Amino acid sequence: MTDMASIEGIIKILFVVVIIAAAYIISTRNILSLVSVYSLQSLTLAAIALALWIADGKIVLLEIAIVTIASKVLIIPYFIATIQERIRIKRDIEFHYLNPTTSLLVSMVMMLVIYFALSRILPTAPGTPSLLFFGAVIGISLMLMGMMVTFSRKRAITKVMGYLSMENGVLFFGMFVTELPLIIEFLIIIDLIILVLLTTILAVGIDSTLEEYHNRLHRFHLWEDKEDAS
Amino acid sequence: MSLDFVVYMMVNTLLVIAAAPFFVSFIKKVKAWTQGRRGPSVFQTYANLAKLLKKEVIYSPHSSRIMRVTPYVNIAAALVASLFVPLAFVPEPVGGIGNIILFLYLLALGKFFMALSGLDAGSSFGGMGSSREMSISAVIEPTTIIVFAALAFVFKTLNIFTIFSVTAGSSTPVTPTLILLGISLFIILIVETSRIPVDNPETHLELTMIHEGMILEQSGRNLALMELSSGIKLTLLIALLINLVLPFGLGTTLTVAGIAIAAVLFLLKGVLLGGIIGLFESSMSKMRFFRLPSLFAMAFFFSTLTIIIEVFT
Amino acid sequence: MIPELFITAILVLLGGALLSFALSSRDERTVRTVALGSAIIASVFLAALSLFTLLTGQNFVFTVYQPFPYLAISFFIDRLAAFFLLLIAIIGGCVAVYTVEYFEHLGGGARRNHLCAFGNLFILAMVLVVSSATTISFLLFWELMAASSFFLVMYEYTREETRKAGVFYFIMTQLSTLFVMLGIFALYVQTGSFAIAPLTAAGSPLITAAFLALFVGFAIKAGIIPFHKWLPYAHPASPSPISALLSGVMLKIAVYGLIRFLLDVFQPDIWWGVLILAAGTTSAVLGIIYALKEHDVKAMLAYSSIENVGIVFVGIGLSIILSAANLPLLATISLLGALFHALNHALFKALLFLTSGSVVHATHTRDIEHMGGLAHRMPWTSGLFFVGAVSISALPPFNGFASELMIFSAFFSSVAVVDPLLKVLLFISLALFALTSALSMACFVKAFGSIFLALPRSSESEKAHEVSEMMLIGPGILAAACILLGLFSYKIFFLVGYPAVIPDMLLIGILLLVMAALTYAFLYFFASREVRVSETWGCGIHSQQPATEYTGHGFSEPIDIIFSAIYRTRTKNERTFFDRANCIFAEGTGEIRLMKVFEEYLYLPLARFAVWAAESISRFQNGCLDTYLLYVFVAVVAVIIFLGWYA
Repeated sequence: MTDMASIEGIIKILFVVVIIAAAYIISTRNILSLVSVYSLQSLTLAAIALALWIADGKIVLLEIAIVTIASKVLIIPYFIATIQERIRIKRDIEFHYLNPTTSLLVSMVMMLVIYFALSRILPTAPGTPSLLFFGAVIGISLMLMGMMVTFSRKRAITKVMGYLSMENGVLFFGMFVTELPLIIEFLIIIDLIILVLLTTILAVGIDSTLEEYHNRLHRFHLWEDKEDAS
Repeated sequence: MSLDFVVYMMVNTLLVIAAAPFFVSFIKKVKAWTQGRRGPSVFQTYANLAKLLKKEVIYSPHSSRIMRVTPYVNIAAALVASLFVPLAFVPEPVGGIGNIILFLYLLALGKFFMALSGLDAGSSFGGMGSSREMSISAVIEPTTIIVFAALAFVFKTLNIFTIFSVTAGSSTPVTPTLILLGISLFIILIVETSRIPVDNPETHLELTMIHEGMILEQSGRNLALMELSSGIKLTLLIALLINLVLPFGLGTTLTVAGIAIAAVLFLLKGVLLGGIIGLFESSMSKMRFFRLPSLFAMAFFFSTLTIIIEVFT
Repeated sequence: MIPELFITAILVLLGGALLSFALSSRDERTVRTVALGSAIIASVFLAALSLFTLLTGQNFVFTVYQPFPYLAISFFIDRLAAFFLLLIAIIGGCVAVYTVEYFEHLGGGARRNHLCAFGNLFILAMVLVVSSATTISFLLFWELMAASSFFLVMYEYTREETRKAGVFYFIMTQLSTLFVMLGIFALYVQTGSFAIAPLTAAGSPLITAAFLALFVGFAIKAGIIPFHKWLPYAHPASPSPISALLSGVMLKIAVYGLIRFLLDVFQPDIWWGVLILAAGTTSAVLGIIYALKEHDVKAMLAYSSIENVGIVFVGIGLSIILSAANLPLLATISLLGALFHALNHALFKALLFLTSGSVVHATHTRDIEHMGGLAHRMPWTSGLFFVGAVSISALPPFNGFASELMIFSAFFSSVAVVDPLLKVLLFISLALFALTSALSMACFVKAFGSIFLALPRSSESEKAHEVSEMMLIGPGILAAACILLGLFSYKIFFLVGYPAVIPDMLLIGILLLVMAALTYAFLYFFASREVRVSETWGCGIHSQQPATEYTGHGFSEPIDIIFSAIYRTRTKNERTFFDRANCIFAEGTGEIRLMKVFEEYLYLPLARFAVWAAESISRFQNGCLDTYLLYVFVAVVAVIIFLGWYA
């Protein structure tokens, strides 16, 4: 139907969008936009799955796209947005171990390392399209970038976002390399939804750091209005 | 040097000079619209330049020859650089004209003199402006060079003319990754022409002043030259971006009708891009100065990624 | 004819040196003028012969003196040698012209004759190193160069800082000789001769060791990071013309050594290129970042030399990588770029050192924070410095840009190499290289702005006045060379047989002039011509005060903050408070100190180790005769055992 070259080009662009979204999740200080960036990332993933479906015609890719859109673009972001409304934290400016610029540089180096490591592990036979290989590289780096978010950010909510972005990486890797069965993908997504639900409950209910913060505000008589000062 | 090229030089230079003030005021107009104002007319910059030409020049008693030559060097560098970017018609390259690296460094030549003139009168605003400008341009430089190296890699040439004669043949971007490079170029455009979120070209506030700080001491016809050369720089970067990403209409043969159509098309595409720039500026807020390096790190990350994908797949 | 000219030049130089040694007790200007005049004459001869060799491409080999059958003092001049001879001749001659006047303003009485003598010897040694035909004479003259330059650095030995710098310089330079010697002996062991000739065998570990030893030796001399620390000490300590010679010429001799051995002796592996590229990139970036922080004008120039030599190394390394990757045209462009940059750096760095010498002479300070406003007081000097600053900032159409352009274009096209790892390396290197050139622009905007523009920041610089003609002619020639080499770079490469390695800069220069002239004409006819000199707005102050100016520190502050991870400043805050909760501030001190990373983490540990090792060894030397007899006994037994087993 459409020629392969332009699909390949579009997929390349989508690759960059995915990685940039991950980079944004690593480096931003603004929590409010995190959710939308995450759903953008998931949408891009779905788009890549669609593009691959157009190119390959495997029906499982179409299913993946639909499931992704339903769960990761709509349901999960909805829950997270609810959490955010409740806890009223708008910014996450504390970083552990890595500051934004360094973590960007680190993730760039990481991508290269993964590239070279994979080029040794995966046999790139002459017939294998390099696009698929590169997809694998990006999948793994996406996973590791998500992991970096989980340890370099302090707020629980950003950690959750990191975890979600990590799962996107797994899906990505699966799409390009191992042909993940749809059922496993489905299970993972259910897992994710449960995780997000739990986070919602925990964050709204017994977030100890939040509590401590409020107490401190009270002690110094700084607790004037309901708006979070941080 | 063929006759074609001489005609090209004249047409291109005149077109750049004519279009530059229009783009400057058009972007202002777009910003005014998004803020719900009517804004000055799109021909306001022409009137401003004409007014400035009629005013006298004031030099500070402490200023040296640097102050006096800077406007001329700046405009000469901008005009020579404008020969490197064909707006409407791409001739055969002559000599080193069209070399990407030379283009970048001609722009740097103007910047160097502008930064010195900021220091010349000894005012603290000027010094602040040039200090910030030099810092920013140093930090963005790796990104700029990487993006241009990627262009050189994609087209296998160092010459802008050759690049354009490749793109002129097609109506869509030659490769899809060119769109990504276009985004990187857009970021460079924002930084190099000192726009929000890096700098605010409209205010003279201490906090936002980078480019305006440097030319604070300029007056009269010299100021007109400085404003015109920064307008030319904007036009050149717009042209570069347009002719890479939306090249349709760009001519490679010299005909009067062809040039006229290409020039009109260029203006229309420029209006489109100017609108995007205006909207982008309106949707952003000025960043704190020391947050800029992380923005640039993001830009660098982005362009390197583009290259990695372009080079490795 | 060429050999005779060469010998004459050498004899003239030697004669000048001997004359001022012989008359060293007479503190007369004539003695010094004659000695320096001999250097100028010799430079003219050398320039003529090297130009001839460069243009014709002929090689000359001649033996002067042969004491032993295997050991001859013979010279070999080919294009490479001639190129560096030309470099020495131009810089040496211009520095000598400058020095005729400069030395008369220097304190030290009759010792100045020694300075002239050692200066001549130094130039002589460099000429001989470059034209050496064998490795052994290379080594010999290399050491002569090191020794004579040590005396030059130590001129103001009464000052504490000079003594420290001198000792530092001496140690580093002897280390360099040691490594070069090791490399040359390793080559001798491999080939059995001292000739500079291509190796037949390749890839043995001994050859690699020889390369590494030579590389370290040359890198120390060239001031490549982390062996760079002697530069920022030695340059401020020595008189300005000497700094110009050290920085402009001597560093290039190390570059010559590296190129000579790489081209004519070794068959470089690709990783050698990577090593040189990495060393060059590191030096370039860190050199200029440290230069930005420096406020002693000569130390700043010294760091900028580190940067520029780094750029030359980048070109060399890139050329090796590219030729190993089978891209000979790009390799040639890159190597030519490196050589051209070596020449260009020699020109503008000598120019900058000489003019900054004039500035220091006029203001009696090396701190740029105490200068300012000199553009009005020293118009010619400021103009010359400006040419140097534009060139070194790599702005078209001057020469610094021409050579960087060549390296850049080699870089831009080098993505054609196949190996992805190498590609990544080249990209990283390119990005850092770009950063370097942008930072050097910032550095020289700051330098020129603080030294020459705005209002004088001290009474000395208020009273400064222009220097005399001879101190303008020397730098003037260099400035003219900077401009001409930039504009005519295309023609020059065309003449020596490398067409189309560089865009035509003359055209760009003409276009710039035409555009400026057209603008001027337009304004002349269509705009107001009124000019008024009056106070401009000074941020609310009635008339400008020096105190409100942007200082050099202030100028580089944003860059300091952005690169704070590299500067490794150590911030110390000590505060005391009146209350327990630390709310009411009583008093406190704060300091921000720049850490000398290399000194604290590399040099000092090595020095401590050396002292420790020396102490342990010195236990063997206990002054007791019996012990020494024991040593002799042990040695004899060892020799017998060795002979019995191996011979």
